Amino acid sequence: MEELILELKEEIIDALNLEEVTPADIDNDAPLFGEGLGLDSIDALELIILLEKKYGIRLSNPQEGKEVFKSVAVMAGYVKDNRKK
Amino acid sequence: MASVNVMRKVEISSDAVSVDGVALPVCGSGEAMLDWIYRTHVGGYPKYHKMDLLCKLGFIASELLLAGEDGRFVPRDDRAVILFNRTGSQCDDLRYLSTITEGEGYFPSPAVFVYTLPNIVTGEIAIRNKYYGETSFYLISGPDTWMMLEVAGQAMDCGGVSSALTGWVECPGEDKLECMMMLAEKTVNFAD
Repeated sequence: MEELILELKEEIIDALNLEEVTPADIDNDAPLFGEGLGLDSIDALELIILLEKKYGIRLSNPQEGKEVFKSVAVMAGYVKDNRKK
Repeated sequence: MASVNVMRKVEISSDAVSVDGVALPVCGSGEAMLDWIYRTHVGGYPKYHKMDLLCKLGFIASELLLAGEDGRFVPRDDRAVILFNRTGSQCDDLRYLSTITEGEGYFPSPAVFVYTLPNIVTGEIAIRNKYYGETSFYLISGPDTWMMLEVAGQAMDCGGVSSALTGWVECPGEDKLECMMMLAEKTVNFAD
């Protein structure tokens, strides 16, 4: 799971052009939106694309994103349970 | 038409930068050069890294133009941002197109899509500097300084606009930069 969390952090940094952020800067349980990384709605859409492109997971309802993207740890759990790639 | 004075000017090509006619030492070329200028002269604005090349070009030019200005970042609505180029956001249009190729390559990128409008450049500058006045982006055939200053002057004629960031911001090809941005101010006509 730790490996997947690190991988996700690297993918998030790359997908969202977070050039001034390292994986060590991202707390596993910190909110991705609002506080924490302070991501916005466009970033949320990019994360949905990331899930499908990298892990073959298509969110049937974009509202699911609110729960799935609560934190990197929650996201990793979702990917582990639902990945097709 | 209002009389317009050019107070400051920045010029950026693919491998050179000048501010008010004085060359700025730079490193690299194209986007790498802009990123280097951001790291060494601006910093502290992570949103820069999400920008497309056209926005980065306009943003860096405006940062160099406005560096050290008194009262910068105080919200105002009397400064217009009026920019021009020939190809609009074509560099981003083509980039977005590459994310929606047929078959397995079909992954439209929202972060690229939001930049497929050239007036996003004026928006990024306005957000950064807390400008709440006019912003516009025009497509013309070439960098006609007289025309650009005339349009800025017409905005000042309408009332409520006392100065403008105006000029040419163009990415004619991959990693190619053409920019000439001016800070223009309305001059007082004592006959009025």
